[in-house]
Amino acid sequence: MPLIINRQLQNVDPWTRLQSVEGESLSWPETKALISGTDWPTWAARCPAKLELGVSITADTTLEDLTPWLDRLSLIEICFEVFRDGRGFSLARLLRRAGYQGELRAAGDVGQDRLAYLERCGFNAFVLPEGRDPLQALAAFEQIQVHYQGAADDPRPIYRQEA
Amino acid sequence: MYQYTQVDQQIVNERVEEFRDQTRRYLAGELSADEFLALRLMNGLYIQRQAPMLRVAIPYGLTSAQQMRKLAHIARTYDQGYGHFTTRTNLQFNWPKLEEVPDILAELAEVQMHAIQTSGNCIRNTTTDHFAGVIEGEIEDPRPWCEIIRQWSTLHPEFAYLPRKFKIAVTGSQQDRAASQVHDIGLHLVKNAAGELGFEVLVGGGLGRTPVIGKVIREFLPALDLLSYLDAILRVYNLKGRRDNKYKARIKILVESLGIEAFRELVEAEWQFTRDTELKLTHAEVERVKAHFTPFAYAADAAEDTRLAQHLAEDEAFKIWYERNTRAHKVPGYRCVMVSLKPQLGAPGDITALQMEVVADLAEAYSFAEIRSTHDQNLLLADVRQADLYQVWQTLSEHNLARANINTLTDMIVCPGFDFCALANAKTLNIADAINAEFEDLDYLYDLGDIQLNMSGCINACGHHHVGHIGILGVDKKGEDWYQITLGGSAREDASLGKVLGRSVAADEVPRVLRVILNTYVELRQPEESFLECVRRVGLTPFKEKVYAADH
Ligand code: SF4
Repeated sequence: MPLIINRQLQNVDPWTRLQSVEGESLSWPETKALISGTDWPTWAARCPAKLELGVSITADTTLEDLTPWLDRLSLIEICFEVFRDGRGFSLARLLRRAGYQGELRAAGDVGQDRLAYLERCGFNAFVLPEGRDPLQALAAFEQIQVHYQGAADDPRPIYRQEA
Repeated sequence: MYQYTQVDQQIVNERVEEFRDQTRRYLAGELSADEFLALRLMNGLYIQRQAPMLRVAIPYGLTSAQQMRKLAHIARTYDQGYGHFTTRTNLQFNWPKLEEVPDILAELAEVQMHAIQTSGNCIRNTTTDHFAGVIEGEIEDPRPWCEIIRQWSTLHPEFAYLPRKFKIAVTGSQQDRAASQVHDIGLHLVKNAAGELGFEVLVGGGLGRTPVIGKVIREFLPALDLLSYLDAILRVYNLKGRRDNKYKARIKILVESLGIEAFRELVEAEWQFTRDTELKLTHAEVERVKAHFTPFAYAADAAEDTRLAQHLAEDEAFKIWYERNTRAHKVPGYRCVMVSLKPQLGAPGDITALQMEVVADLAEAYSFAEIRSTHDQNLLLADVRQADLYQVWQTLSEHNLARANINTLTDMIVCPGFDFCALANAKTLNIADAINAEFEDLDYLYDLGDIQLNMSGCINACGHHHVGHIGILGVDKKGEDWYQITLGGSAREDASLGKVLGRSVAADEVPRVLRVILNTYVELRQPEESFLECVRRVGLTPFKEKVYAADH
């Protein structure tokens, strides 16, 4: 699946995905571990300190769930199960407001027409569904160039920006 | 009125190109129907029973003569020569071709118009009092605040995929002609004890399957905090509103289930993060927007005219129209002229391309080139010199726009119903025709006084039937159209929800039932008592007894 980080198409994803399964232990990779599954906090607690840690969550996860981990995490992936579910947009903003500076990835039902909005809400990485043209997707960031309202990218509304 | 800056224009232009690209990809099969659906909805495009329907935004109901001419041009070129005004003061075209919609949007952009966020689960067109700025006793003109909300909410990156659509109304006086209490958010301009300007904020009103009157979440919000507070409400709603059932997804359900106190706490807690950030409005920005809404250069000698008195004395038909379809203006010598889109024959709110042009010409000649569309699906020329009224009336009459029925029974709010709407349970336009045929005697209507009749073709309540003095709701009974009648609703400052009269009635019975209801009112009313007051005083029982008498 095409991966875009900071508006650059990536050839490889350096993260190793670990799906936690109840009753089984995880085998940790060398460097970057991306944990998914609802019991991610259990596994996150066991993650060797030398590894970089990431979690993949849905918008059912709240800011409060994540707050204790923000300093430890270098990747948070929010998975959009259906594009109509807009909670992830607000969750991203809350995470950025809480000071999280690591990679914030949007995954799941991420159409190119939402990329610019997602980016404005604080996402800097995007996993596109299989089969999407990543070059067209990159162009989508540029389609609307000016914005009335502030957001995570720039908190100033247009009238507070210098001409 | 507001004039686009280069930025406003750029946003609209870029949006047109974006949608052109999206439409192209959809037609080429690169974009799934489901995904295109969300995108086209955000650009006002529905697929209806007959054809696509395009809803053009008319921010807070204000159009220029030039814009109205453009709408006429679009109606002629891309549609079947007419359009339909909605209760959101927007204009719908019923017959555009999908592949031509990008061109229509480009035409709109030429006159500073668009269809952005007229549908979809996002913040919709903000509405207001159609007499904003021209009536006596206003705290302040609400339109600059509507424009500020428009800009903030347009292409908002965080609030484009809300649980459900979101509607905001603003009022500027004690009177509520914007149905603000049945909006997701109602904003009332008020002054506090210290004389400072602010808003009383209501939240969680709405119609549809579960009608609710909005609740006060904040009695006084300082005016400059408007956007930070809206932001807080929207964020709480976006995170916590239900998404599992579209009938339970509006903010009213969230407010009801949490209770207004708990909801308020969440909003106030969220607001603490943002109230002193860049979301706070600046005086300079408010003044910049307000400068677009300064009063016109009214003629100081307008009240010295004597022609009006003469015409009123000489022409009875003109006098009747003057009394029924014009309203006081705060400047002596001026009147507000209601343009009735409720003819004897024709769908309420419909307007032909020619009529659009006639109204545009009149606005240009007599009303500072501006036109307003109203919540009750009429138009308004808000600033007409009294000396010009006779001429305006004659022209309106020639084009079937002067039916003297404003605020009477036949000034109905009616949604398009089954004839156009894919969601409808029953027809509405045939019922409107039948009501017009049954109650064509204007003297009788005048004797009945102000009556608001609202009709919807299904429970979605686009025709606001819950808040009509008389409400009619189309229901489907084994494939036949039946109609449930409610009495006692109001969308005004004394907002209330109508109560169901009894079992629903068949289509051909509706006029007779209305006749019985109205006769009952005439029998029971006290001197000067309006229909609504009478219903509130005596309750539904006397009406019920008469209407269903034959059943006993
Ligand atoms: S009330 Fe129902 S029938 Fe009428 S326009 Fe709305 S959805 Fe359609």
